[in-house]
Amino acid sequence: MNDNRIVERLNRCFEYVQSQDIRIMEVCGTHTRVISKSGIRYLIPKEVMLLSGPGCPVCVTPETYIDMALEILNLEDVILVTFGDMIKVKGTCFSLSDKQAQGSKVTVVYSPEDALTIAAKNKDKLIIFLAVGFETTAPLIAVTVKLSNERGLDNLVFLTALKRMEPAIRFILQDERSKVNAMICPGHVASIKGADHFRFITEEFGIPAVVCGFESQDIAAGICVMLEQLTGKGHIEFVNLYKRCVSFSGNTIAQCMINEVFAIADGAWRGIGIIRNSALVLNDKYEHLDAVKRFGIKIERYSSPVNCLCSEILLGLKLPYQCSLFGSVCTPEHPSGPCMVSSEGACAAHFRYGGDRKNG
Amino acid sequence: MCLAVPARIVTIDEIHAWVETMGVRQRVNIQLIDSPKPGDYILVHAGFAIEKIDPEHFRFLNDTLYEMFEGTENE
Ligand code: SF4
Repeated sequence: MNDNRIVERLNRCFEYVQSQDIRIMEVCGTHTRVISKSGIRYLIPKEVMLLSGPGCPVCVTPETYIDMALEILNLEDVILVTFGDMIKVKGTCFSLSDKQAQGSKVTVVYSPEDALTIAAKNKDKLIIFLAVGFETTAPLIAVTVKLSNERGLDNLVFLTALKRMEPAIRFILQDERSKVNAMICPGHVASIKGADHFRFITEEFGIPAVVCGFESQDIAAGICVMLEQLTGKGHIEFVNLYKRCVSFSGNTIAQCMINEVFAIADGAWRGIGIIRNSALVLNDKYEHLDAVKRFGIKIERYSSPVNCLCSEILLGLKLPYQCSLFGSVCTPEHPSGPCMVSSEGACAAHFRYGGDRKNG
Repeated sequence: MCLAVPARIVTIDEIHAWVETMGVRQRVNIQLIDSPKPGDYILVHAGFAIEKIDPEHFRFLNDTLYEMFEGTENE
């Protein structure tokens, strides 16, 4: 952190925090990484805990989704196209990279648009794009779906696991066991949906919520504002500290794209289960491009892996070190649970950058 | 996964633009932003421009990005 004023103000806040336990949750994987990497955890008093919510789309993609992708790979003449983050995530038993090692065609892309090029070049093959992400990524997928339809690429289909953030936050805050006192809102989801999209956190649940950017200074400033509010030095209100990239109403073109292509459905979150209205699926107009419908795949009921504490971690009830598998059986090289797979997962970030025992 | 990086639009080619981040050029889709122009500063996520940003913030983000890369050399 190179802004001394923020550090000074933060230190002043720490004086206000007397033996009052404060739990601040972030629900964006990039925030999780920045918090762990910047060492903010070491600066704050032991009463203040920084918890990582379900902010990494890869970590919350259920095993059954990977299993479906693996099943499709058993068909002949298919190419599976995916973001790199998904490649190591295990389904019930295997990951896409295991399958790739056995000769299956899995192609990693940076942009969903690359799937269009692959489909155009391989007309004799069926291309399946793994559409994973939150509302930051959903508009990109929507544009790709529309372009694919316009160009008549009928060999490209989408296996979707797109998630909406708002129902997940509501789910966490409504949980009777939840002890979350304040929330750092996901900055790039907010740049699409608008800061106002997260105002309900303060209005309905009465806790401070701040839209933050992704530099350590941004996060420190956010923590500062929330601590001031929680210790009575400021009144509880919703604050947008990321005005440079997030307007109150968001990117309306991107929102229109989402609404034009997707419908809202119930979604399965790994480690959590079904959350109502939390998924985006292709709507009636585009359902012919939906891989599940095209292949008539059966969606299995979702169940969590044994012994993995991810569900409690994602809900902010436990910290990674409290899992008996953390760092021994479960490591980033051999992840047992989803939070260890992506570098944005709570367990992986704690494993890599450490954290003291009070704060995980 | 929602990571976005700052970039500057260099040229526009229908629904795409060539943009520059830290001296590296890449082609991104610009259908999600309103009236993009060469010289505009944007945030890029997975090959798409997702928002316009102000020039001052671009400089700040770009500097931090440099710092981030310097810091990750030995990881
Ligand atoms: S350490 Fe591994 S097994 Fe334990 S909660 Fe984290 S991801 Fe799950």
